Amino acid sequence: MTEATDLAERAGDRDPRVGLRAVSALRRLLEQLEAVQVRSARNQGWSWQEIAAELGVSRQAVHKKYGRQ
Amino acid sequence: MFERFTKDARAVVEGAVLQAERAGAETVEAEHMLLALLDREGSRGSFALASLGLAGRRDSVERDLAEARRRGGLSRADADALSGLGIDLSEIVSRVEEAHGEGALDSGKGGGGGRRARRRPFAQGAKGVLTQSLRIALARRERHIGDEHLLMALTVRPGVLSEVLADHGVTHEAVTRVLYGGGGGVAEAG
Repeated sequence: MTEATDLAERAGDRDPRVGLRAVSALRRLLEQLEAVQVRSARNQGWSWQEIAAELGVSRQAVHKKYGRQ
Repeated sequence: MFERFTKDARAVVEGAVLQAERAGAETVEAEHMLLALLDREGSRGSFALASLGLAGRRDSVERDLAEARRRGGLSRADADALSGLGIDLSEIVSRVEEAHGEGALDSGKGGGGGRRARRRPFAQGAKGVLTQSLRIALARRERHIGDEHLLMALTVRPGVLSEVLADHGVTHEAVTRVLYGGGGGVAEAG
């Protein structure tokens, strides 16, 4: 019985729809979290260069994405 | 595309721009289209909403939308998907709010006050609603896009808006039923 339940659950995990939906939700959450952190860093006087270094992206990339805010 | 829009549909699009302005949002979102739809009277869209009991429940819809914005615009389905990965969205929201203040994940909020007025672009989601409404009208072989097609588009696109609408009894099936289904006579209103 428990084995059957486990199997069913694992089969569910292999359903690409479930996994893809989770990835999509995570990506959107990530975007929101990044925006919050970048805003916070800017409010604390961080330069774009410093923020970019922590995020592991180029200064241009961060500035292009958040520069106008 | 807009030349196919009825007067009522155009009013919703223009109303959405006003809603975005009022909210201090940078872009016009699908959410603003829904709020503009809720303001309409005497249109096919407002007829459908009233038939499904949404008249006078605007506050409740707005509350749910605000709650979703606070979750970073993620829907309940998103929260479920994340919890499948062991991620507790409400926990994340409360920790971010602890550090950055209530509503920190609400990206729709206006930033600085002294921003000069400029034309607000339609966000991707709002554009999606427009194209979806066109698709729905075409599928029904209707020549014009009315505000009821905008409403139907809002109910079919997965995410916060269709969830909030469904929570208020406004699903794609229900809208289709009150507009086109059974009896015939009811479909002629507006």
